[in-house]
Amino acid sequence: MESVKATRRKRLAAMVLGLALLAGLLSGCTGTPGKETIRFTFSKREAIGFMTKLVADYNASQDRTEVVLDTSGVDVVSASFVRGNPPDVALANYNMETSRFVQRGALSDLSGTEAAGRIRGDLQPLMDQYGSYPGRTSALPYSVMASSVIYNKEIFAAHNIAVPKTWSELIAACEALKAVGVTPFYATWKDDWTIAQGWFDYSVGGQVDTIDFFKKLAAEGTRVGPDSSASFQKDFDQPVGKMLTLAQNYVNKDAASRAYGDGNLAFSQGKAAMYLQGPWAFSEIAKTAPGMELGTFPLPMTEDPQDLRVRVNVDLAAWIPEASQHKEAAREFLEYLYRPEVIDAYNASQLGFGPTKDSAKATDPRVAGMAEYYEQSRVYQGPSVLVPRTIPIMNYTQAIVFGASPASTLRTLDADWARLAFRQ
Amino acid sequence: MSSISTSSTSSTSSTSSASSTSSTSATSSPASQRKAGRPLRSRRRVEPIFYFFLVPSLVLFTLAITVPGIIGIFFSFTDSIGIGDWDLIGITNYIAIFSDPAILQSYLFTFGFSIVTVIAVNLVAFLLAVGLTARIRMKTALRTVFVIPMVVSGIIIAYVFNFLFSNSLPAAGAAAGIPWLENSLLANPDLAWIAVVLVTAWQAVPGALLIYIAGLLAVPEDVYEAAGIDGAGKFQQLTKITLPLVAGYVVINVILGFKGFLNAFDIIVGLTNGGPGTSTRSIAMTVIAGFNGGDYAYQMANATIFFVVAILISLLQLSLTRGRNAL
Repeated sequence: MESVKATRRKRLAAMVLGLALLAGLLSGCTGTPGKETIRFTFSKREAIGFMTKLVADYNASQDRTEVVLDTSGVDVVSASFVRGNPPDVALANYNMETSRFVQRGALSDLSGTEAAGRIRGDLQPLMDQYGSYPGRTSALPYSVMASSVIYNKEIFAAHNIAVPKTWSELIAACEALKAVGVTPFYATWKDDWTIAQGWFDYSVGGQVDTIDFFKKLAAEGTRVGPDSSASFQKDFDQPVGKMLTLAQNYVNKDAASRAYGDGNLAFSQGKAAMYLQGPWAFSEIAKTAPGMELGTFPLPMTEDPQDLRVRVNVDLAAWIPEASQHKEAAREFLEYLYRPEVIDAYNASQLGFGPTKDSAKATDPRVAGMAEYYEQSRVYQGPSVLVPRTIPIMNYTQAIVFGASPASTLRTLDADWARLAFRQ
Repeated sequence: MSSISTSSTSSTSSTSSASSTSSTSATSSPASQRKAGRPLRSRRRVEPIFYFFLVPSLVLFTLAITVPGIIGIFFSFTDSIGIGDWDLIGITNYIAIFSDPAILQSYLFTFGFSIVTVIAVNLVAFLLAVGLTARIRMKTALRTVFVIPMVVSGIIIAYVFNFLFSNSLPAAGAAAGIPWLENSLLANPDLAWIAVVLVTAWQAVPGALLIYIAGLLAVPEDVYEAAGIDGAGKFQQLTKITLPLVAGYVVINVILGFKGFLNAFDIIVGLTNGGPGTSTRSIAMTVIAGFNGGDYAYQMANATIFFVVAILISLLQLSLTRGRNAL
């Protein structure tokens, strides 16, 4: 009996010792001694290779801060805010989701940074569309993506079709393509987001001033409806009608059952002349047709070429959470990220447009067609991303394309907006 | 019916006798215990080992289900987005929910879908079970084949069927010259729910099938013999003997199935993602969308309502099954 107890005690002691050792090992892993460790969240899959190298360069260039790259994604970041343990610095897609952190004051003020002074002033209204926190510059744009119609230059040239600048030129181009048996647009309606970001946003953004529209909508709040100064049913009715003209006459027959991946493949095989996608599709198309000559132009929705605009989104914005314990080190790294050679190299590699006044011009031929619009700030943010996520607008746009009544769907959107205003 | 009630009573009596012997063996003989009867047994000290079995799950259930549940119900009366500042706003969220067509539609869809799926699953599973318990060749092999869908994860099944509906079926339709097949079932707002029912049923049938096979095997052979001698045909035997004797299993399958289908999520996400439009958005999907869309408090209110509805259904089911056990 006595000996059994002794072995038990020994075992217990061994276990405790083992646990203590393990704990020591784990805590030992988390940093290089003498260096302040900061966690940097970055989850844009296509650029993780680029960012890994950048972080390694930064860590090697100085001996005060050790940056740890965290690529675990958006949901993990949201959870980390809830736990009060957010990353120290992040470059992330700027959208309604991130704006929650902005509006509730979870992000620190960056107005004092050198980077903030170099941001183009005309981008601020776009950032503010997602909401702001009084007295703070909560996030800085890092990479702007512009998207518009992607077109197959070879098909356009083979049939002597010029890039359309007006709605009637666009219809004429579509008719000409149809007459020679070429599908004008390749549509992938199975994935509702492709309708929302391409068909819906280009159609509305080409005609409606979205900054003004959403300002009025926010002011009307619970009153949004048939009699308010701005409403989906009134202001979006005509653009959506034009979208349906294109959607019903000039797309591939099996559009309803095609998904984004199918679209990239089909477009790379030359099965259609135009494709309503963003620059992210280029690398996918290049996988099967590396040499394909592609260009971009804004979807013309009116008869005035002056109305031409491209859809932009802040693909990456930089922010530092208020709850970070290492704000100073994080700000230092943020300044490094905004060094002209760093930010220009990043945007060139991802076909993005630079947000700083001294950014290099985008020269890749695939996005060059949009450069002049971006330089002249003839841009808009898509209405589909400006509607809070809780309203299933992507599903609504899909319903419209599949034959639901546009008028009643837009009325539903108004009602959803008013209801959201009622409880917020 | 009789078979299930007897089996359940026998199982409870066997466990209670096992427990009583284990707890009393040291103090009293089985004979004296039998004489003492119920009142004494209830006063006797309970072996601590049973608490030991109970406590871990009780603690885990409280920490992982009850506490978060109560916190969630509390937040349904606020305007919280999950992080940062929030204010109490009373029952505003609940008022908004009852006028929200998207949420009402998700309830309508979920209940309609659950009812149709429960009927389809039980019909198919029962007929399959009858076939698979009959004297047929390769019974074991066939049973294995029919149970395979159960072991594949729902999201994988959904993606495979998604491909079949979007590519294979339309291609087959085009080749055979059947125009209505050429467009995907998933792209049709009026018919997409059928695809969801089909795929969900495909996955859920094996579970129900196993329970039915167990039930059918429990029906003694001699009642069929007697019925045969009395001149009942095969169909009459099925409706007049088999069905009443496995009715208890039907109740179990309907309850378990319905409960599961109300929580429909993964298969719908993989198949239609709630579309086309909002025609196949289930309640669970709207709740989850709220978490991702910064609408925590509102969807907490929705979840609370769903919780109440689920409790009402469980109470109904409990009273139904209790009635059956008494029979």
